[in-house]
Amino acid sequence: MSTVESKNDAVNPGSPVNQDGPAKPSFHLEEMILNMGPQHPSTHGVLRLVLHLDGELVVSVEPVLGYLHRGFEKLAESRTYLQYMAMISRLDYLSGFFMEWGYVRSIEALMGVRAPKRAEYIRVIIGELNRIMSHHVAIGDFMLNLGAVTPFFWVFRDREDAMDLVEMVTGQRMMYNYLRVGGVRWDLPDEFEAGCRKFIKEFPAKIDEYEELISDNEIFISRTLGMGIIKPYEALDYGISGPNARASGIDWDLRREVGYSVYPEFDFDVPLGQHGDCFDRYKCRIEEMRQSVRIIEQALDSICGGPVNIKLPPMIRPPAGEAYRAVETPRGEFGVYIVSNGGLRPWRLKLRDPTFSAISMIPKLTAGNKIADLVAIVGSLDLLMGGVDR
Amino acid sequence: MSREHQKYRAPDALDHTRELLGKLAREVSVSDWHLVIEVRPDDLPEVALRLRDDETLSCKYISCIIGVDYVDWMEALYLLRSQEHAIPVRLRVRLDRERPEIPSVTYIWSGANWHEREAYDFFGIRFIGHPDLRRILTREDYDTHPMKKDAWPHRVRRTEWRWEDIERPKRLPGETDRRDRS
Repeated sequence: MSTVESKNDAVNPGSPVNQDGPAKPSFHLEEMILNMGPQHPSTHGVLRLVLHLDGELVVSVEPVLGYLHRGFEKLAESRTYLQYMAMISRLDYLSGFFMEWGYVRSIEALMGVRAPKRAEYIRVIIGELNRIMSHHVAIGDFMLNLGAVTPFFWVFRDREDAMDLVEMVTGQRMMYNYLRVGGVRWDLPDEFEAGCRKFIKEFPAKIDEYEELISDNEIFISRTLGMGIIKPYEALDYGISGPNARASGIDWDLRREVGYSVYPEFDFDVPLGQHGDCFDRYKCRIEEMRQSVRIIEQALDSICGGPVNIKLPPMIRPPAGEAYRAVETPRGEFGVYIVSNGGLRPWRLKLRDPTFSAISMIPKLTAGNKIADLVAIVGSLDLLMGGVDR
Repeated sequence: MSREHQKYRAPDALDHTRELLGKLAREVSVSDWHLVIEVRPDDLPEVALRLRDDETLSCKYISCIIGVDYVDWMEALYLLRSQEHAIPVRLRVRLDRERPEIPSVTYIWSGANWHEREAYDFFGIRFIGHPDLRRILTREDYDTHPMKKDAWPHRVRRTEWRWEDIERPKRLPGETDRRDRS
C-alpha cells in the first residue's frame, strides 16, 4: 500500500510529502498489463500475448498458448494410420501438404517402403506450390500487420492461381488428404502440366511486382531494417529453423542437407540473410518463392512415367519400432516421431512444429521495443497457431 | 542405401562419442540414422553440456523433447542436431514412471524451456530446476496429464460405443436429420 500512497502523493502537490519543496511534475512509473489477443488480427490465429508495458515500451511479453489445442497427439493413438491422414493437414493449415508429407515419410521409414519415383516428383511439385502459397500468406499478413493493405490483396490474387492448380490435382484447396503411404492418391490430371507451366512462367514477374511494391518501400524499410534481430547462435539455441533461421545466416535446409525425396536431383539455392532482422526474414521468403519456381520447373521437365502408388494392405501395421523424419516446411523443420508397437494404431505420435520454437523466442526478441515494433516482429516470424497448439 | 542415409555421418561419430562420454553413457548406438545415446537421469546435464561444447559433435540445436509412456516406464527423448556436421543425436533417458523426475536442461539450451513445459503438461515429467514449470497447452487447472496411458480410465472403452447407443436429442415429428440417411 505504501507505494501506492507515495505515488498518489507525487501527483498531488499539496500532500505532506511534497511540502518541503516545490511540486515537481512526475510520471507514474507503473507497469501496465495489456492483453493482445487471442482474437487480435495481427497475432495470426489465437496467440495471446500478455504485454507488460511502460508507456509504449514493452517491458516483457508472455505468450499464452493453448487456445487452439485439439489434442492431435492423443487423437492419433485412437485412430488407424490412414484415418489420421485426414486430420494431419488440419495441423498447420496453410502448409497442410507438408504435414502429410512428414507423417507419410515417418510411416514409410517404419515400414521400410519407398514411394515410386513418379509419386516423389508429384510430391515435390505440389509441395513447392504449397510453399509458394504459404509464403504468399506470410508476406501478405506481415504487410497487413504493418498497415499496408494493398499487398495483401495482390498476394491473395496470385495465391488463387496456385490454389487452382493444387485443387486440380488433389480436389481440395487447403486440406488435401492427397498423400498415401507409399505414394499419392491418384495421378496428375492431363491438363495439369500446361497449367503449371503457365503458372511458373508468369509467376516470377509477379514476385518482381511484390518487390517493387514492398522491398523498395521506404516506410517498410524503416520499420523492419534492424528490427528484431536474431543472432545465429540464438537461433540455434532456441531451435529456430526454416526461413527465420536462414535469415540469420544459418545455412541449413533439410531439402539440401538431408536430401529426402528427389530433391538431390534439383539445382536450387538456399537464400541466406545477413543480419537476421525482420527485413531479411521477409527477403528470404521472397527468394524462396523464386527457388520454388526453379524446382517446379525442373521437376516438370524431369518427371517420369510409371505408377504413383505401391500396393499395400488397406490396414497398414508398421512393425514395432520408432522413427523420426522431418521435412522442410515453409516455416522450418516439421518432424513426426512415431512409436509403433506393431498394432493398427501408433503407440505414440509426436509432432515437432517449427513455429513452437519460434514463438518461444518472442519474449526475448520484443522486450525493449515499442508495441508497433512488436507487431512487426511477430508478423515477420510467420506464426501459425494451428501447428503450435496441436 | 539412398543418398539420404549416406549424407549423415552418425556411424563416424560413434567411437568419438564413446570416448567423449565414457561411463556417463549407458549405451551408444546408431539406429535409424540417429546417434542414440542412453543416459541416466542424473547424468543428463553433464552429458548435455559435453555434447554441446564438444568440437566435433557441437549439438547446439535442440529440435524437441519427446515424452513417451511405455506403461512400465517412461522415457524422455531429446532430439539434438549438430548443424555443422549433420549428425542427428537422440538422447534417451529412461524414467521411473511413478516418480518421473529429471534435471532441467533449460540453462544449456534456451529452446528446451517450452519443450520441457510441454512434456510436463502431457506426461507429468518434473524437470527439476526449470525456471517456470507450468502447463503450456492445456488449461491451468486440468486434473490429469492427458498423454499418459492411464489418464482417462473412464474413457478407455470409448471405441466400443456405437452410434445407436448414443443418446440423441429428441426430434419433433416430421423433422429429419441429415445424419440419418447414411
